Amino acid sequence: MNDTNLSSNGHLAIEANDLSCYYGDFRAVKNVDLDIKQHAITALIGPSGCGKSTVLRAFNRMNDLIPVAYAEGEVLFHGANIYAEDVDPVEIRRRIGMVFQKPNPFPKSIYDNVAWGAKIHGFKGSKQDLDHLVEESLRDAAIWNEVKDKLDQSGLSLSGGQQQRLCIARTIAVKPEIILMDEPASALDPISTLRIEELIQELKENYTIVIVTHNMQQAARASDYTAFFNMDSDRAGYLVEYNDTQTIFTSPAEELTEQYITGRFG
Amino acid sequence: MIDNEYIQKKVEQDFADYYPAGDEMQSQISGRRTRGKLFFWVFLVAAMVAIIALLTLLVTIVNQSFGLVAEQVIIPEETLVTDYNKTRVTSAANIIESSEDDESLAAGIGGDPSGIGFFGYAFYAENQDILKALSIDGVTPSEENALNGQYPGTRPLFVYSAAEIIDEKPQVAAFLAYYLENLEVVSEVGYFAADEEALNQQQAAILEALGVEELPHINPADFDGEILVAGSSTVYPVTVAMAEKFKEDGFRGEIIVDSTGTGGGFNAFCTGAEGIDIVDASREVDTIEFEACRATGLTINEYLIGQDAVVAAVSAANEFADDVSRAQLELLFTESINWSDIDDTWPVQSINRFIPTADSGTMDFFVRSVFDEQTLADLPYYALVNIYSANVTVGRCRAVEREKRFYLDQLVCDNPEAFTAACAGDNPPSGCTEETWTHAELERMITAEVVQPQILKSWYLYPSIFERQEIALEAATNYPNAELKFKSWISRDFITSPQSSQPEIAGVRTAVLGSLWVVFISVLVAFPLGVAAALYLEEYADPRKRFNQIIQANINNLAGVPSIIYGMLGLAVFVRFLEPITSGAAFGYVEAGATANGRTILSAGLTLGLLGLPIIIIASQEAIKAVPPSLREASLGLGATKWQTIWNHVLPNAIPGILTGTILTMSRVIGETAPLVVVGASTFITTDPTSPFSKFTTLPAQIYQWTTRPQDTFRNIAGAAIIALLVMLLALNAVAIYLRNRFSKRFA
Repeated sequence: MNDTNLSSNGHLAIEANDLSCYYGDFRAVKNVDLDIKQHAITALIGPSGCGKSTVLRAFNRMNDLIPVAYAEGEVLFHGANIYAEDVDPVEIRRRIGMVFQKPNPFPKSIYDNVAWGAKIHGFKGSKQDLDHLVEESLRDAAIWNEVKDKLDQSGLSLSGGQQQRLCIARTIAVKPEIILMDEPASALDPISTLRIEELIQELKENYTIVIVTHNMQQAARASDYTAFFNMDSDRAGYLVEYNDTQTIFTSPAEELTEQYITGRFG
Repeated sequence: MIDNEYIQKKVEQDFADYYPAGDEMQSQISGRRTRGKLFFWVFLVAAMVAIIALLTLLVTIVNQSFGLVAEQVIIPEETLVTDYNKTRVTSAANIIESSEDDESLAAGIGGDPSGIGFFGYAFYAENQDILKALSIDGVTPSEENALNGQYPGTRPLFVYSAAEIIDEKPQVAAFLAYYLENLEVVSEVGYFAADEEALNQQQAAILEALGVEELPHINPADFDGEILVAGSSTVYPVTVAMAEKFKEDGFRGEIIVDSTGTGGGFNAFCTGAEGIDIVDASREVDTIEFEACRATGLTINEYLIGQDAVVAAVSAANEFADDVSRAQLELLFTESINWSDIDDTWPVQSINRFIPTADSGTMDFFVRSVFDEQTLADLPYYALVNIYSANVTVGRCRAVEREKRFYLDQLVCDNPEAFTAACAGDNPPSGCTEETWTHAELERMITAEVVQPQILKSWYLYPSIFERQEIALEAATNYPNAELKFKSWISRDFITSPQSSQPEIAGVRTAVLGSLWVVFISVLVAFPLGVAAALYLEEYADPRKRFNQIIQANINNLAGVPSIIYGMLGLAVFVRFLEPITSGAAFGYVEAGATANGRTILSAGLTLGLLGLPIIIIASQEAIKAVPPSLREASLGLGATKWQTIWNHVLPNAIPGILTGTILTMSRVIGETAPLVVVGASTFITTDPTSPFSKFTTLPAQIYQWTTRPQDTFRNIAGAAIIALLVMLLALNAVAIYLRNRFSKRFA
């Protein structure tokens, strides 16, 4: 990979070195080298089955939930490999949050949805502090005005777009350093999608964001860097090209990338 | 392999032609619909069969649980209560005079300003100048109040005969006509005359039936033959007086009057066996008796002859007492000493009582009607002890007293030396401990051993409704002394009474409590174990490991193992091997006088807990599986640990499903019989289970035992017990479903 274009923007949040992910005998992702910049939005794009979601989930060890899954290579977070034996995945997930494709609020009240994470992580503030945390998180997720009068209602009573913003509020309430987003707007209508995109732009100030998307326009509009993945003949995903979004969408180095972003395959 | 040539050929064709069109399309669609309709009918029939089967089951049970019975008692409860109250009256303080002679009593009261007494209205009427009648609850004993039924202690008096007998026996017709002609005898004997209007109506009806203007005057000398009368002891003196008068006027035949009680009179009359011509009755004939008569071809004729009333009177010189309540009246003739005890404004003078003797019918009637609506439950403890000890053998009474005493400070049936000696022996009876029979226990003992209700025959509900006449006839023929009445086998008494060898007084309390204990323990065991096992299997166990696969297969198979096998397991493991624990001996628990060994509620609960375990595990696993993975991801993605995820998200969302499984388990456990029989449910037990180490029986076990008894009556109580079981099942399920719905709402 060509790192020269990426070095301009400060420190690295995550560094994947020669990362390969397996589901049992099947290698889903092979030999990915990817450096995620701090306080930037990095989009992972590519055709279905190219392993971009697997790579994203590898960043906070969510793949561990699948019994047969394992990873080779290393993912460095603050210089330490998160796959090292002495690393607790719970701590990794606390510091690297995740927002999922389908909005999945807990079947609890809106307030509890946001406060629960704080509670389990030993939030030391008073009840009032907790209230403030909930409010701030909901404000940061741009949903406060819509829900401030019905905090005790079920999170499931909200619309799809609102639910997804509630999930983002829930994620930022535990103050992670990085937020991983797995196609966060794919289940939403265009208006909601736009609101989520705006929100992501605002979140960039405080968080590093990695987003998987199927939507090329979204990647072009909303991200600073773009990584393009493709699938090999043995169905293993690999990183084709990684550069700042501008470059990827205007003058990609690889022909495959150009074919993909112009819609000639995928 | 794809046949390219074939595809090529097909593509060239127009596939639209392959679909039916027009009429053909319509008939194709209606053909599909017809097939659907066919299934509709199949499903409808299936549903109907299911409903009919359930209804049949219900109808069968209901049919057994209600119906007519021919019940006979040795001593009616009412008699026991009346006797007790009579004793209270006859043993009251200050009895100045106790006499059969009502005139003398009236005179005595008249001369004593603090005197009081009671007698028939006739005697009061004769002595109105020296007596004052007390009104009861504001109702004065006048003819009017007696007739309209407001004055307590009044009742109509009748004689009954049948049209067929009157037609056949002229002497009976003559005697009845003479009876109605000379009703003043009723007042002479001491009773009230009947309502004049009612008598006139009766007269008119008789005239109309005979088709004459006026009843022909009867000359008793014209008649001969035998007249048999039976029935009410109240009417007895009237009929006797009437018979004497009839003979005095020249009747040449014989009149035999028998006092058998109204019911007995009707029974004898309606069977026709004893040739009874006339029935004396102190109440109206009831429908069952009426139908029994009609079944033997007797059409009952009713003749009102008078009214019965008793007056409580004081001296005309008594200026303070005018009106008393029933409770005050009761005290006036029983426990109170001075008039002031009853009312503060009355003088402190002793109540001087002038009462009839204990044998007197007036005494009986007064006690029965004026302050006698009590049952055994209303009597004081000592009265029950007296009734019991007076009516059972000394041997039985001693045995009962050795089991538990009646009083702590005295013995009733046993002699103190023998009892003390027994207590000092190696194996002291349980009566040595300081515990007495309770009031309720005594009531039951009296009902069982003194009243001794016996159901001579019972009929199911269906014949009780549609073959009433035949039943009435059968009962009157075969069980002349029994009372035919409608009985609901399931009743409050049935639920609250313990088991008994007499089906008449047997109840299901012991079994219901046993069932509740066993269900409670089995759910207590199966629920946490089952949920924990399900959580392990679903959340922790690696399904690829052979060991876990074997466990899973075993659990699935265990759910289908016949319950008797669990019974064998329970017998071997809990009853035998773990006896020190299940009998409570390991915890120093020894139940007084009981030798339950390992056959305890705990063993039964554990056995049924094991039986329910696979069901709960499988249901819980399904419920846990149904929790959406996205929820787990959300929780774990937030940095929650596995346990936090399970506790806060998986379990709360699975709990409705888990509870559904638990409800199913509970229903199954309540209904289990076979394993409990093996584990050792007691066949006969009358003491309530008090701890997990008690002996026990359960409802289904009880029902099973009752159905195996030869007597018909046990089948009735088995039916009633089934209803009790169903109701208990429904109630427990309702509670469980309510709880489940509350859980579901909280997390929705």
